[in-house]
Amino acid sequence: MSTFAELFLNGLSMGSVYALIALGFVVIFRATEVVNFAHASLLLAGGYVTASLHDDIGFWPALLVGIAGAAVVGAAVEFLVMRRYRGSDHSVLAIVTIGVDILLTTELTRRIGTDVLTLGDPWGDSVLTVGPISLAHTRIAAFVAAALLITVFLLAFRYTSWGVAMRAAAESPETAALMGVRLGRVSLGAWAVAGALAAVAALFLTVFPTPGLERATSLAALKAFPAAILGGLDSTTGALVGGLLVGVTESLATGYQSELTFLGRGLGDLAPYLVMTVILLIRPAGLFGTKELARV
Amino acid sequence: MSEALAGPLRFATRTRTYVWAAGALLLLALPFYLDRFWLQAGLFAMAAAIGAIGINLLTGSTGQLSMGHAFFLAVGAYGYCVFAADGGDAGDGLTGLGLPTWLAAVLAVLVAGLAGGVFSPIAGRLRGAYLGIATLALIFIGQHVLFNARDLTGGFNGRDVPPLSLFGLTFDDRELLVANVPFGSAEKLWYAGLVLLLGCGLFARGVLRGRPGRAMNAIRDHRIAAGVIGVPVARYRAAVFVLSSMYAGLAGVLLALVFQRTVPDYFGITLSLEYLAMIVIGGLGSVSGAVIGAVFVSVLPQLLTRYSDALPLVSAPGTGGIAPGEASRYLYGAAVVAVVLFLPGGLVRVAAGRRFRTDPGEKR
Amino acid sequence: MSTTNETNETNETNETSTRNATSGTVRVAAGALAALLLLAGCSSKAKDDDGNDKGGTAAGEVKTGEGISGKTITLGALTDMTGVYATLGKSVTQAQQLYVKQLNADGGVCGYKVALSVRDHGYDPQKAVSGYTELAPKVLGFVQFIGSPFVAAVEKRIDGQDKALVLPQAWSSALLGSSYIRVIGSTYDIETINAVDFLMKEKGLKKGDKLGHVYFEGDYGESALLGSKHIAKEAGLTVVEQKIKPTDNDMTAQVAALKKAGVKAVVISAGPRQAASLVGVAAAGGFDVPIIGNNSAFAPQLLATQAGPALLKNYYVASPSLPIGADTPGAQKLVADYKKAYPKDSLDNGVVAGWTAASAFGEALKKACETKDLTREGVDKALLTIDALDTGFGTPQNFTDPKAASSKQSVILRPDKTVTGGMKVVQEADASDTATQYTPGA
Repeated sequence: MSTFAELFLNGLSMGSVYALIALGFVVIFRATEVVNFAHASLLLAGGYVTASLHDDIGFWPALLVGIAGAAVVGAAVEFLVMRRYRGSDHSVLAIVTIGVDILLTTELTRRIGTDVLTLGDPWGDSVLTVGPISLAHTRIAAFVAAALLITVFLLAFRYTSWGVAMRAAAESPETAALMGVRLGRVSLGAWAVAGALAAVAALFLTVFPTPGLERATSLAALKAFPAAILGGLDSTTGALVGGLLVGVTESLATGYQSELTFLGRGLGDLAPYLVMTVILLIRPAGLFGTKELARV
Repeated sequence: MSEALAGPLRFATRTRTYVWAAGALLLLALPFYLDRFWLQAGLFAMAAAIGAIGINLLTGSTGQLSMGHAFFLAVGAYGYCVFAADGGDAGDGLTGLGLPTWLAAVLAVLVAGLAGGVFSPIAGRLRGAYLGIATLALIFIGQHVLFNARDLTGGFNGRDVPPLSLFGLTFDDRELLVANVPFGSAEKLWYAGLVLLLGCGLFARGVLRGRPGRAMNAIRDHRIAAGVIGVPVARYRAAVFVLSSMYAGLAGVLLALVFQRTVPDYFGITLSLEYLAMIVIGGLGSVSGAVIGAVFVSVLPQLLTRYSDALPLVSAPGTGGIAPGEASRYLYGAAVVAVVLFLPGGLVRVAAGRRFRTDPGEKR
Repeated sequence: MSTTNETNETNETNETSTRNATSGTVRVAAGALAALLLLAGCSSKAKDDDGNDKGGTAAGEVKTGEGISGKTITLGALTDMTGVYATLGKSVTQAQQLYVKQLNADGGVCGYKVALSVRDHGYDPQKAVSGYTELAPKVLGFVQFIGSPFVAAVEKRIDGQDKALVLPQAWSSALLGSSYIRVIGSTYDIETINAVDFLMKEKGLKKGDKLGHVYFEGDYGESALLGSKHIAKEAGLTVVEQKIKPTDNDMTAQVAALKKAGVKAVVISAGPRQAASLVGVAAAGGFDVPIIGNNSAFAPQLLATQAGPALLKNYYVASPSLPIGADTPGAQKLVADYKKAYPKDSLDNGVVAGWTAASAFGEALKKACETKDLTREGVDKALLTIDALDTGFGTPQNFTDPKAASSKQSVILRPDKTVTGGMKVVQEADASDTATQYTPGA
């Protein structure tokens, strides 16, 4: 039982980090209807900036610069690439983000090289032990930070004029534009927010239990894809639920590997995708996604 | 106007025939001159071209984003091994049915199609981004099976690929002297690859130029409108998915024959992304675009690696600086972005002398 | 309407230019074709009956073949500097480049200079195979080939036609058995047997206990698993398996599972990062069992991370040779030279592995020179006569039996901040009884 609780809590905490990434993903999709495969590189960019600055300016300022840096990279991608595309095919734009991702990831991994960079976080390897269950402080911090950020984000989405503009743009770009919403700004904002969220996620993906930032860190974004999809690509609640579901599934599938040998070993990576496939079979638009309404 | 154009037009057609004939002859003559490295690079490009034609039918012409193409390549490659290998006593102890190799190749392609068909209940219900990410699941499932189903796949070390034999000719490394030039597997497979690529290209062109092609484009441009005007949308989408999987399966078989061994690491997500890059760079929705893109993406890294010593900026491994592998990734990442932004329609439009240039803004 | 007109016009102009272009192309193509036809039959690939391509064999001279042109012997290195094994590949390659430089400074072999042709495949099968295809006709042999699946992919060609000596930097037992592919040092299964033997002798692991094994999917982890399963059967242990992927960096779930299973010791056959995470999580959670890793499961950079203190406390590494910071003259010279050549790069076991492989090839070349036969065949034969190559790292390498690894010994190390390379010896080179009796693949 204690093992289960430990796995479950760890899964929840990882899941909240995935939710942060998935949320950025959903924000971009809502604002621009583009699937952003370059998300992995935004994450890496944020982590890299934080990692390379923390020695000189301390952890918290470095983190802030890292978040800002990733936001700038996100905005730059929107401004320099996405905005220049004149066609209307969103799957072409999705492929463009793959190109952007290849460029950014190659540059960042080349800089990181073979190093493992630490982020200089204040939590270290301390652990909270309650009875038989132990949970790393970083994991608790991840959960709290993610919960906080997601709440702030949802409130902003609902009550600020930026949030309203964004929802209007998602609802109907033409109408929103006619009502005076500047679509360019909305999508620029969406990319920046997504970058910032990814940078925070990068922090929690590279602190203890993981040794630090290295070239493969960005692959964690691959787990945010099923999270975003199974919740529903256009639903912020969905990103949250999807993230948690993926985190818990992954943790349990890994922890109970010995009991699941009939499925082959090393299920951790696969499990989120299996859950996603099953959910999509039942609900093609994800758990909270809106079914498509179309006019001819 | 038509009078004036008739002459030059006929002339143009004639020259085009000459160019084609010269090109074909050149391709046929290459194995006599190029060494194995170049032939192998060409074969990788041919296999990639077949796969790219397939995914272009699906993503380029029908508008269904697939990131799972590598999975179907794996089905083709491993399917061929399972059907063709001698089971049991052959030494590696892996499952094999020992069928004639040509039959194994055909069956492997069919199985890849079948795999596409099995996935089509999901493919049929999902669109756009949802489909793209759902097909990503195929990659993870594929990798998991390739590493774990030891008896079938040989696990991490992969399994040997039995050489193809057709009409008494075996495509292996036993030397065969043709006009005093020793023919190994690469030289022999070169011709098989050419024939397959030509067949695949012509078939896809037939599909695209006929009724099905127009229906597919209608589905891409407006799914519901297509349904309203009488296109059986669901059936078409499922059929294209199956067809595209079969192309991938064939590409997988050819790749396996060139590699002479299938390795699970190959069939990962990078491969799927490469295929998407190919069709975007070459030109969405066209057969020649797929071929051009495939050549670009698969030959570029090999060229850069080979000439890494001589290129400026690119540095030899071990000396720091930009490694050839990285350089090629920069180039093709940039190519994807640049082509979409500045050359809508891909390289194929450039090759065609921009004759069909349309204002991309009109396409809304 | 004006737009249509404009388009028409551009079409026409374009057509003219295309026409000119195509007729130009035709002429060029036709010329090329004519040239081709003229040359047909005298292609450079065509076989001459004189057999000149086998090189000079004049009396008293050294016999040479592929890979030697002019006064240069070319050796190939297929490495990974941009993929998952980048850390290993970089160290191995630089060490080998250093060896070649020194060899040439000492006069080379038989008056020939040695050159290294390096190709980075980034752990991509297609690039690896095409790199092999490119280099195979040009080199005498390969001092480095990273990635056992790729070596396996070209094994048939190595054994069948090329017959060139290949020294893979992959210690998978699946590669043993070929006369041309020679694994240097103990393979991962033997190393793991020695590691578990150490746990039983020194760390209180005993019959009936459970042993956790966290391993990578793929050649490295799964070869190691063969070893732990073998010794578990011999010694009455139960192996609790945890398979991970190279992309998994957080070992929390694995530690939870191992804890639940009640293992008394853990073997980790994964990368340095996974080892750091595993040791760190175990220490933080009060899960106090000895952990031992294979030679690839440590990098000196790790001591600077959060997991550093835990690694220093409770982590061991089984290695096929003494660490780079060893107290032998050979090791100290290598450290000094390497530092001088690559001041910015860290010294790790990859340097030792690369150096040892290059030395083995170099020795084989020198022996082949003595018998005046620098062909591929000559070098293969020469290597078979080397039975105790010592490069200053404690474990003599015996190459006389192509079916066995060149050594069955392992050195047990533990992390230490104060030593170069971050490792010190706790148990000198030794082969356990189980390892000595073990035949790979059986």
